[in-house]
Amino acid sequence: MKAAGLLCMFATVLASCLALSPIDTLSQDDQTRLKGLFGQAIPFQSVSHAHYVVLGMATLGGTVPKPQDACNYLKNNMDVNDIQSIYQAASAAQVLGNCQVSLGAGQQTLTAALSESAEISDLFYAVSAQTALGLPVKSADVVKTLDAGLKRDDSILSTSYALKIAAQLSKETKVDKYFEMIEDIVAQGDTIDDTYLQFDNLQQASVFVTGAYALAAKVNKKPLISDEQAVQLANYILTRKATQTIRNAYYVVAAIKAFSENTFQVPVAFSLSGSMAISKADPFVKVGVSDLMSQSLGKLNVKAASVTSEADDETLASDQAFTSTSDETLYQLDLMKLKPAPGFFNIKLSATTTKPASKLIGLSEGEVTVKVTTEVSVSNVEVLLVDREQSITAKTVKATYPGKASTTLDADFHQNVVIKFNLADKAGETLQAHQTFVRVSNIKTGQEVTFTADADTSDICRFTLDIAESGKEYFNQQSGKYTIDIIIGDAIIQNPFLWNVIDVNLKFPETSQQQQADKPSQYSKKPEIDHIFRVPDKRPPIAVSTAFTALVLLPLLILFILWIKLGANIKNFSFSLSALGFHAGLGAIFGLFYCYWAYLNMFDTLKYLAMIGVVTFLCGNRLLRSIAEKKN
Amino acid sequence: MSANIFTVLAKFYDEYTTKTPKKLKIIDAYLAYIMFTGIIQFVYCALVGTFPFNSFLSGFISCVGSFILGVCLRLQVNPVNKSGFHGVSNERAFADFIFASVILHLVVMNFIG
Repeated sequence: MKAAGLLCMFATVLASCLALSPIDTLSQDDQTRLKGLFGQAIPFQSVSHAHYVVLGMATLGGTVPKPQDACNYLKNNMDVNDIQSIYQAASAAQVLGNCQVSLGAGQQTLTAALSESAEISDLFYAVSAQTALGLPVKSADVVKTLDAGLKRDDSILSTSYALKIAAQLSKETKVDKYFEMIEDIVAQGDTIDDTYLQFDNLQQASVFVTGAYALAAKVNKKPLISDEQAVQLANYILTRKATQTIRNAYYVVAAIKAFSENTFQVPVAFSLSGSMAISKADPFVKVGVSDLMSQSLGKLNVKAASVTSEADDETLASDQAFTSTSDETLYQLDLMKLKPAPGFFNIKLSATTTKPASKLIGLSEGEVTVKVTTEVSVSNVEVLLVDREQSITAKTVKATYPGKASTTLDADFHQNVVIKFNLADKAGETLQAHQTFVRVSNIKTGQEVTFTADADTSDICRFTLDIAESGKEYFNQQSGKYTIDIIIGDAIIQNPFLWNVIDVNLKFPETSQQQQADKPSQYSKKPEIDHIFRVPDKRPPIAVSTAFTALVLLPLLILFILWIKLGANIKNFSFSLSALGFHAGLGAIFGLFYCYWAYLNMFDTLKYLAMIGVVTFLCGNRLLRSIAEKKN
Repeated sequence: MSANIFTVLAKFYDEYTTKTPKKLKIIDAYLAYIMFTGIIQFVYCALVGTFPFNSFLSGFISCVGSFILGVCLRLQVNPVNKSGFHGVSNERAFADFIFASVILHLVVMNFIG
């Protein structure tokens, strides 16, 4: 149990360690871009635009061009019937300075917004407008209205506005109960990936952050936001820094400003400045250490707690002090002094202040990744012609980078072309490049085939071109002049190159070349498809079928013989009309059946059958009746 | 034993020739004719092959159908069965037989192909 608890605590500490460094800052470039965004909104389209631009500019430390124009715009366009408009104009005018917005008929609107049935947002606008206009705020009344409003609506936005209202009340007012709401509000955010603390929208988050730190400053107590939560909240707000609307830009700027200018929690951002590539020519790892507004945190002692290679997790060095530069936020370390092997390195950073400053969060949590690059050189390049069967080297050509071998090799399909080379870095250490390719291209047709050259155990890159096999598989047996290039590249190589090494005459087997030509192209016309009826089965010989026809007719003969022998009663046949009609009708029906079999269709047959059938039926009926009557 | 069978058969033949009405003998001849025709067709099919199958089938069905109709006619005409077919005269039976045969052969012709 104890062990589990300890483990749990350890895990929490570990998790919090990971989360305590903000992943982004509002860099100088970002701030310039946002200033430009605010600048584009002039001339203003509405009072709310003017409000966001004036306040956003001021937060970024800039000023609005032609402040008097802006002031006049606010005076002329303030809607005295809308408390939000009054608040926006009043607060913008206050920030502009030397700008007096007169309330006029707005007094009534203001009073209505302070009444007990008012929405919390309206209450906030009213109280803020009063503060901005220098009017007295009746704190006791506001508290009453606020409590009533919170009972009706305790959403994140409303409670966050309550914090901002509370921050503006008189010193004597008890605001502790509002201060305690901070903990509840922050608990409503969603943590994502242990990196972001997300609210429903940016406005909520921004109003909450500014309100919480304003109220904290008023009561002079650290707000009930944990350090991780503060950093995660800042991460969330900074995901929105690329916004294109001035409203969101203002919310981002206001919240980030609150994170960097409060006296309780200031997240410290470590960021890699400049390129991540470190080389002999540019040996310094430059790290920016600042608050989220990219402002200096004063003099710091920055050091690399450890420098670890990403490839094998080995620590190259630890406790390396960075030196400060002319830029107060930038610190640098000569990494090449430590003689790193080429590759990627994680540098864990920590900073200490000269005087104790508990407000700084994540001073020892910085981490940056850099790569040490090198120049690669290729040496011991040999192109060999080796007999395919007996492994006897027929010819060897040496080449040196960057020249091309003057000799042209003649290789036929009984041989292999083998290319060997070594790769080494500047220091002469052997190197494995991520991409080592050999490209074989046909000079005449321009066809290119690229192969990989793999390093063997002795770190020699080797590529074997089996002419007979590759001819079949890749080159369509196209004999002729080919040129061979070596391509080397890697993330840690400064000088990736493509080197044309040598020309080779490849000779593929003749016979199969002709087969190739005979093979029809896949794009040629295919034979037309005709419908083929089912071929009838073979019929028996005519003699057999004739014999069986006779055989089938034979019983008919026997039948007649039998009938005659039995003495069928033909004499009784009366030559009346009905008798003739009946027998003729029957004969006609069977004749019709024959016609149907031979050439008629079903409809015609039925038509004729109906006609003959009626006659036959009538005749037959009469005949048979007369016979029956005669019998009786 | 075999002598027994022969005496039975001889007795049977005698009885048949003397006691069976002539009408029924004529029908029996017809039935025999139908039966042999069917048998010969079947033998052909077994020896030579079924192609063309629908022709064989219609011929064979024609025989089977006609045989059944013939048997029905014989049953109705037989004086022994008079009580079973009360009100069905011989002529009526013959007319039914003709009508059914016409329908049967219409179907057979349709199927013959």
